[in-house]
Amino acid sequence: MTAYEDFAGREIVPLREGPDPVNVPMIRHWAEAMGDRNPVHLDDDAARAAGRPGIVAPASMTQAWTMRGYAASITGSGAGPGAEELNALLEKDGYTSVVATDSEFEFHRELVVGDRVNVREVVESISPEKSTALGVGRFVTTVRTYTDQDGEVVAVQRWRLLRFRPKAPSPEKRAPKALRPRPAVNRDNAFWFEAAREHRLVVQRCSGCGTLRHPPGPCCPHCGSFEWDVAEASGRGQVYSFVVAHHPRHPAFEYPLIVAVVELDEGTRLITNLVGVEPGEVEIGMPVVLDWLDADPDLSLPVFRPQEND
Amino acid sequence: MNRRTYEEVAVGEELPALPIPLTRTLIVATAIASRDYQDVHHDPGLAVERGSKDIFMNILTTNGLVDRYVTEWAGPAAVVKAIRIRLGVPNHPGDTMTLTGTVTAKHDEDRRVEIAVRGENGLGAHVTGTVVVRLPSKVAT
Amino acid sequence: MSRLSGAAAVAGIGATEFSKDSGRSELRLACEAVLAAIADAGLKPSDVDGMVTFTADTNAEIHVARTTGMGDLTFFSRIPHGGGAACGTVQQAALAVATGVADVVVCYRAFNERSGVRYGLGQADRPVETAADIGADGAAYAWLNPFGLSTPAQWVAMFARRYMHEYGATSEDFGRVAVVDRKHAANNPAAWFYQRPITLEDHQASRWIAEPLHLLDCCQETDGGQALVVVSAERARDLPHPPAVILGAAQGSGDDQHMMTSYYRPRITGIPEMGLVGLQLYAQSGLGPADMDAAILYDHFTPLVLPQLEELGFCAPGEAKDFVAEGNLELGGRLPFNTHGGQLGEAYLHGMNGIAEAVRLVRGTSVNQPEGVRNVIVTAGTGVPTSGLVLGAGR
Ligand SMILES: [Zn+2]
Repeated sequence: MTAYEDFAGREIVPLREGPDPVNVPMIRHWAEAMGDRNPVHLDDDAARAAGRPGIVAPASMTQAWTMRGYAASITGSGAGPGAEELNALLEKDGYTSVVATDSEFEFHRELVVGDRVNVREVVESISPEKSTALGVGRFVTTVRTYTDQDGEVVAVQRWRLLRFRPKAPSPEKRAPKALRPRPAVNRDNAFWFEAAREHRLVVQRCSGCGTLRHPPGPCCPHCGSFEWDVAEASGRGQVYSFVVAHHPRHPAFEYPLIVAVVELDEGTRLITNLVGVEPGEVEIGMPVVLDWLDADPDLSLPVFRPQEND
Repeated sequence: MNRRTYEEVAVGEELPALPIPLTRTLIVATAIASRDYQDVHHDPGLAVERGSKDIFMNILTTNGLVDRYVTEWAGPAAVVKAIRIRLGVPNHPGDTMTLTGTVTAKHDEDRRVEIAVRGENGLGAHVTGTVVVRLPSKVAT
Repeated sequence: MSRLSGAAAVAGIGATEFSKDSGRSELRLACEAVLAAIADAGLKPSDVDGMVTFTADTNAEIHVARTTGMGDLTFFSRIPHGGGAACGTVQQAALAVATGVADVVVCYRAFNERSGVRYGLGQADRPVETAADIGADGAAYAWLNPFGLSTPAQWVAMFARRYMHEYGATSEDFGRVAVVDRKHAANNPAAWFYQRPITLEDHQASRWIAEPLHLLDCCQETDGGQALVVVSAERARDLPHPPAVILGAAQGSGDDQHMMTSYYRPRITGIPEMGLVGLQLYAQSGLGPADMDAAILYDHFTPLVLPQLEELGFCAPGEAKDFVAEGNLELGGRLPFNTHGGQLGEAYLHGMNGIAEAVRLVRGTSVNQPEGVRNVIVTAGTGVPTSGLVLGAGR
């Protein structure tokens, strides 16, 4: 196991109490800044009229109750030994920058004035190195569990940060990057791109004869059936052919750009990009494994990287 | 404010779009309100040094704005059960983010309604995600 | 031999100059080329009653017919799939003439492909319709554009890399095709690269476009127009030039065919749709590869010339690199090739200028005329559903 894989399941922030109980002044400050005019956050009577016992905090504010504030952000201390160990490992590998990419909150109950909010944080996974628009980095996914003064869970948050090596700053790089060309999605191919958004590489499978086909189509050329489902690909395959594109240059891509036809272990082929490999190192027949490129919020694409020999 | 009941909401219903001017003051005020003192959310010089073109909005604020957007439509009786978001391009000062939403699912057993939300600025999609709220029943109220 | 073979002939050819900036509308280029071809055939615009062009052409038949004063038309038709259409237009014309649907059919193609819409820039930013049921042609780009595989050079490069891997061909083997094209163009005053030959070293030193393709593996982008006049073989004999009789005219679309990206077939080193065209051409004409005295092979990119030689039976699969290296494509070789300079050397007119050159070879008027040419094979675009012709002096 790599040092990163070792972190899966580890608690990096032991249970920590938020500095202040849920209180109206901080809710007011939040609601003003957010432009939130919902009366249940500031008016006891209105809250009761809306079925609450009294004022409730905005759900989205849950995390704010546990923020360590100005002093800690200046000294950088007190994150917890696991968090500091993980930070040191990431910094050593040059992943010095950080950006939050995902927050998935499930709220178990609303917070009322006087509640104490505690949080503990456990690593769910740390991705292999990925190429992103910001730079090369790793996605660190953690689960934060928020509990109250009685130890009851009030909310659970899956939290994902990209820890990355910033690209060498240049005026060109700072300009907003163009989006990759949109796929022309229609009723026959939408399922594939929707699955890709969930990081599932699927292959259309005929329900009549079981034949896999890609690119997909509405009808099976072998048996004529219009019925189909999908098989999930194992994500293993090999390079069947490849191109190293140089010109013309589209602003969404970095050149030279490696585009490959990969033959999956399942037997179908697909057009994809190769990552984690220099153009000069690519060979036909090279074993590759699936990775995911989250190009932008609307577009996730399967890409492949060389299979590591170990 | 509105007071929507579970029964009057239909899958496919679109929430009215909400444009939010992204002033520098908004970005700083919301960062501080969420107790986030990271320099990239208030110090333009340091933000540029770290590879950004200017300061940008923090994710807690995106959560807060999405929360506000949906509850403003749903009304004070709505209880937020989940906010799941993915960030895309940053929210920089001077831009405008327009939030849009569509009801994508209803769950009768506990009156939960799922709303797909999206916030677009001049660079593209800043946020995409889902907010789940429980709405009051027409009968119960 | 089929009923089609020998029924019709190309009696006239006409073109504009080939340039990088015509300074004229595409319709004007079309009209100039069409009128030149009609004049070359010794006919008048009012004699024309049929027209065929590409679906890719922006000059609808009615505009060309109205503007040149053709009057009534009884036959008009269009062929899809880009350069794959070229010989297909002549097939349509021959079918119309052979069945009596029309008597004089003009095939044409005209565009400002360099100063206007440049194909070489690719399809990356082709507008994506927002409708839920975008068509199948558009949806096919979903597998290409998001990954940055958007230009014809890139599409061909994928085939080329696999071909090199399986057959041990090299970039120099592709380069030799470019050198022959440019050598022939250097002697052709109508060619863009007139008096500008290249060496294999020039080819190797040219910049990468889409590895394994160098710049000099890629055809030009051209402004211009080209037209051909097809009449019955019988009538052609009464017209000014010796007829280029249409001995074979075929189209082909292969199993599991895609537009430029048929990467999903069991093997991708061949061009099955071209093999299908070749079989038909030989069956229709009663001729074989040994009877072909010259070849005009579609050369938008050099690598796909090699498998064409294999599919058309001039050598065995994988042996085209040797066939080329042995000098067989030279004027004094076994199969003089692209005597006008091809699309790399003369002009990129979507294959139509190559058909005109085949007509000149049959007439004996090419600037690079080999001796004793009776039959010429011509092909259209590769990687797409395609077409081919055998033109000859006839009986
Ligand atoms: Zn089937």
